[in-house]
Amino acid sequence: MFELRFHGRGGQGAVMAAQTIAEAAVIEGNYAVAFPFFGAERRGAPVLAFARIDSKKIYSKTQVYAPDCEVVLDDSLLDTIDVVSGLKPDGIVVINSKDKPEDIDLGKEIRTGAVDATSVALEILKAPITNTAILGALAKATGIIKIESIEEAIKRRFGEKLGAKVGERNALAARTAYDRTVVGKSKGIKKLETKKQWLPSYQELPVGGVLVEGRTEAGLIGPGSFVENKVFGWATFRPVRDKEKCTMCLLCWFYCPEGTIVRISDRGDLMTNYDYCKGCGICANECPVDAIKMVRGKT
Amino acid sequence: MKKVITGDHAVAIGAKLSRVEVVPAFPITPQTLIIEHIADFVNDGEMDAKFLTMESEHSVMSAAAAAEAAGARVFTATSSQGLAFMHEMLYATAPLRLPVVMVNANRTLGGPPGIWCEYNDSMGVRDSGWLQVYVEDNQEALDMVIQAYRIAEDKRILLPIMPCLDGFVLTHTVEPVEIPEQQDVDSFLPPYEPDVILDPARPAMIGTFMPAEYIMELRRQTAGAVESAKEVIQEINDDFAKRFGRDYGGLIDAYQMEDAEAALVTMGTVTSTSRQVVDEMRQEGEKVGLIKLRFFRPFPSEELKNALKDTTAVGVLDRSLSFIGGGQAFNEVRSALYGLSIPIINHLAGLGGRDVTEMQIRKMFELTLRAANGEKVKSVNWHNTRGETV
Repeated sequence: MFELRFHGRGGQGAVMAAQTIAEAAVIEGNYAVAFPFFGAERRGAPVLAFARIDSKKIYSKTQVYAPDCEVVLDDSLLDTIDVVSGLKPDGIVVINSKDKPEDIDLGKEIRTGAVDATSVALEILKAPITNTAILGALAKATGIIKIESIEEAIKRRFGEKLGAKVGERNALAARTAYDRTVVGKSKGIKKLETKKQWLPSYQELPVGGVLVEGRTEAGLIGPGSFVENKVFGWATFRPVRDKEKCTMCLLCWFYCPEGTIVRISDRGDLMTNYDYCKGCGICANECPVDAIKMVRGKT
Repeated sequence: MKKVITGDHAVAIGAKLSRVEVVPAFPITPQTLIIEHIADFVNDGEMDAKFLTMESEHSVMSAAAAAEAAGARVFTATSSQGLAFMHEMLYATAPLRLPVVMVNANRTLGGPPGIWCEYNDSMGVRDSGWLQVYVEDNQEALDMVIQAYRIAEDKRILLPIMPCLDGFVLTHTVEPVEIPEQQDVDSFLPPYEPDVILDPARPAMIGTFMPAEYIMELRRQTAGAVESAKEVIQEINDDFAKRFGRDYGGLIDAYQMEDAEAALVTMGTVTSTSRQVVDEMRQEGEKVGLIKLRFFRPFPSEELKNALKDTTAVGVLDRSLSFIGGGQAFNEVRSALYGLSIPIINHLAGLGGRDVTEMQIRKMFELTLRAANGEKVKSVNWHNTRGETV
């Protein structure tokens, strides 16, 4: 059995990627399963997906804890998540990164296939949705599945949902990434610290799970604790506002789902708190005078 | 002071004496008289409470939970379809540990619709984390509303509680009820003082999204609270008995059990009728006894085992049906008595509000006695049901 774990962000298509690899495996005559795991559905938030491939029916209904292959759709996740945790010693990492494998520090020297899937996606799909590109890299780096099967699976799944043209374009993204993927060995320098999590026993859990403002070893809990949850690492684009064009209509302030646009009343101006901007682009989309442009780069 | 009043009226007076602060309400027969009486009390200035007329029972329980979270003592009442409609919110109030008191007037839940007494409404929410107590007469209905607040708000418990009274058999029946003095109730029941409430000055998160990393522990916590309620209920029963002179026995109440060979386990008003039958049969020399199952949650497994271990056969009377053969009380009592080699048989009666007569109860005792004498008796017996023989 070959087991895969996908690390992505809400909106990048990690779940579709896992489902598509399962479909490709079935096209090749295998049995496969794929399933997601996520918390509160939120665009940009870390998402997990899993897939298993075998020549016979798969009975295991648990998450994958010791994958053969780790797929990382967004290398910003490396800052907060130990993506290689549990990876089998002879396993492989497939990662979306501008860097070559030998320049990527995974905290472990491990076989790694790297491709700049974001650029591939932007070129071909005109959107930073990297799931199909990363599947091309997966085919190249692991060799467990043929690129032709991936292309066919993409055409089926994406074609059914979004039309034949979108299917074709996504298959092209996979093929392009396949051609550009470099396989090597990652660096193993940084010490990976798993993020501390507050895990109270049932006796320690406040009655009814009711939380007031508090601090634990793992950080703040209760009302206001999201102040620690900075999301600037999630973004592919950042909003930049042209003050000359801006009419202060405040539609961006109204629509921002994260409340990152702050009114500075004494100056009659606006300020974006980039710590909490996940680069969704809703402000730019809503701006009636096109004063906000989304620019490539972290917020 | 004694008053000749309905069960619904007694419940309303119980809520008034408990100094309830918020009453979200929606009418449904046979509990409507309860909230009508309370509306009168509030209107006439006898009761200092906020009376909220809601657009549905789902909203009633939402408002009840919210008011409780804001620190108010809350009362409401419902029945049957109304209870079913608030099902979702019942499952929020218990794990969030909001000690709402809601009276359920037991009424058949269906289609086809009916309005008379059956327990299939409250039995359907027995796994919601709410405590449930079933009462036998109007006095107990009033007294249990007052006790319910002491139990629910006890810091060792903090769970919502549902005193259940038989639709029409109590709700619309008048009988004499001793009304406790306000000052006596005040000294028995201190004001509700929760540790954390929804207060902008001290923000709190109540009932926010909780992932799998925490919910298992939350369930364990709720289970612990339900379990520890057993001790507290007994303690509060004894304190009430001392102050008011009425002792309901706590989780269960035993009648003529000292040397009983055949025992019947009953809930609600059929207990009253059964007491009469026990007296008659005792005079005839039959060693029969009665266990009134008062609390269904927490379920008094140990207490039942102790009370029934010396009998030779046990019958359980159910006013509702679980489709695994027999009623819910039967299946849970049998589970509690696991390990004792006593025959346990089920008596189904009074479904849909069909009257449960002394004749039927006598038949139940007779069947149970036959089982006690080693005769083979059917496990589940449908009484007074056309096409069935018992």
